[in-house]
Amino acid sequence: MNATTLRPGERRAMPPWARLVITVGLLYVFLVAIKLMESSFKLMGGGSAGSLFQGIESPFAGVMVGVLGTVLVQSSSVTTATIVALVGSGQIGLTAAVPMIMGANIGTTVTNTLVSIGSVRRSGEFRRAFACATMHDFFNYLCVIVFLPLELATGFLSRTAVWLSGLLTSAGTQGASFKSPIKTAVKAGGKLVQEQVESVGLEGKTLAVTLLVLAIGLIFVCLHNITQQMKALLAARIEAGLNAALARSGLVGIAVGIVVTVAVQSSSITTSLLVPLCAAGILTLDNALPVTLGANIGTTVTALLASLAAESTAGLSIALVHVLFNLSGAVCFFPFPFMRRIPVTLARRLAVLATRNKLWILVYVGVMFVVVPLIGVFVIG
Amino acid sequence: MFKWLRGNQTGLEKIFADFGQMLEDGRHVFDAAANAIVGGTNPDTVKDDLYATDRRINRVEQEIRRAIVVHLTVADRADVPVCLALMSLVKDAERIGDYAKNMLEVAFYRPDFNHDGAVQHLVELKDRASRALAKMRNLVESQDETQARAFIADVDAMLSDCDDHVDRLLSSPDQGTHAVAEALTYRYIKRVLAHALNIVSAIVMPLDKLDYFDERPEDRE
Repeated sequence: MNATTLRPGERRAMPPWARLVITVGLLYVFLVAIKLMESSFKLMGGGSAGSLFQGIESPFAGVMVGVLGTVLVQSSSVTTATIVALVGSGQIGLTAAVPMIMGANIGTTVTNTLVSIGSVRRSGEFRRAFACATMHDFFNYLCVIVFLPLELATGFLSRTAVWLSGLLTSAGTQGASFKSPIKTAVKAGGKLVQEQVESVGLEGKTLAVTLLVLAIGLIFVCLHNITQQMKALLAARIEAGLNAALARSGLVGIAVGIVVTVAVQSSSITTSLLVPLCAAGILTLDNALPVTLGANIGTTVTALLASLAAESTAGLSIALVHVLFNLSGAVCFFPFPFMRRIPVTLARRLAVLATRNKLWILVYVGVMFVVVPLIGVFVIG
Repeated sequence: MFKWLRGNQTGLEKIFADFGQMLEDGRHVFDAAANAIVGGTNPDTVKDDLYATDRRINRVEQEIRRAIVVHLTVADRADVPVCLALMSLVKDAERIGDYAKNMLEVAFYRPDFNHDGAVQHLVELKDRASRALAKMRNLVESQDETQARAFIADVDAMLSDCDDHVDRLLSSPDQGTHAVAEALTYRYIKRVLAHALNIVSAIVMPLDKLDYFDERPEDRE
């Protein structure tokens, strides 16, 4: 009888170089999809496409558009990439897009909240899991409460982002007319796909809608597969990082959050990994918070990547707003213990309530991620 | 670069390395305690080291449990059986440390086994058990099923030997303090070996049979 239980499971291992080649290919297709999205928005010219994001005047409604968009597609990467494409194509302005980016940050937290509900029948486990998940929600809501009024009053995020993007683009073209090879390759890819779609006789709005659907589909497929490939490639490193985060709080946790999220291109993956660890009681909320902050910072890389395909520097500016916003959140909350305690305490209290009465879960998720965003978009917006 | 991306060790490799260290520490504390009880070593000289090593065993056990949860969270489901087995086996490895402490406690009574060749038999048993613990560490690494079966047969014989001696002591009319110490020594060595057997049995047995290994010998075929 060959029944050993001490041997790791068999798996079909793809060579790491193959995974890297696939990932680079997927990244290219992702950028082409952003380009197609831009083209589609231009063809629509401010019409129906992206209508969820367009014509929003109130900053509060802008935040809620970001929340709702992300909750609907279950991916802040898709939302932020779409916002970059919209800003890059000139369909919405930078100022209007800033609250949307903030909203996307909030919307993405619904994923790990839903993950935590998986342990709802085991109260102790659920209390820890739900607190871990909602700590991210509260932190991102608090960041918006702090930085949105500040941005509206001073424009510190958008101004800094514009200044930085000017600096970066002028550094890239110093002394000569330099054309980014990535932009050139992406433009060629986008043009090729658009020509193929046009060749079947599509034009005008139909062409625009087709391109938009195709672009969104490609973005989903690419991001999903990049996540899978990178997770498989870096599983051991991710595991080592999480093991390090279990024992230590602080900058190590932030670094782990950034690295894992940049690697897998999804903050939801990172924060969802924390939920079972907290549920099992081996990761404390205090040690999970820095990883969550790191995940917030790491997820901004997607928008930066998307901006590589954007036509104008405005695309880069809004991507930089995302980076600056999440960096500001970490700098504002993390160094000060009393500030750090706010999201942790709020999450703990909500988890206690939700453990006592499960109706709280429904009320919380429904109000925060559905009702308020809907009111924001369709009543106030 | 690819090696850097993958890391020097996979999560499971690291867990196995830590488990191997636990087993090595287990053998170390067993040797120290057994030498104190039957080898003539002064128990006072090994006490601090033995207790420190046992604390390290306990700490590594907890680290391995945490690492298993992390591994199951990150890695694919193919590793679930081995992780569940390890979760059970670290307990066996930890118990070896506990029995070594029990043996040391007996050693502090300075038992006298100089009768009927008892000391010689215990010294031989101690040496065989120590070699078995060293072999257990190598088997966990090599996963050699043939060697594992040979190990099981050898340890089985030692377990029976321990039982026979305890039975003899129980039925002996001489019920002095030293008989109690001798019976306890056999009992503790037996428990150490039984935990070692449990660990090695995981190489040849399915997950559900762990811990019930010695109840149905036909399962071993």
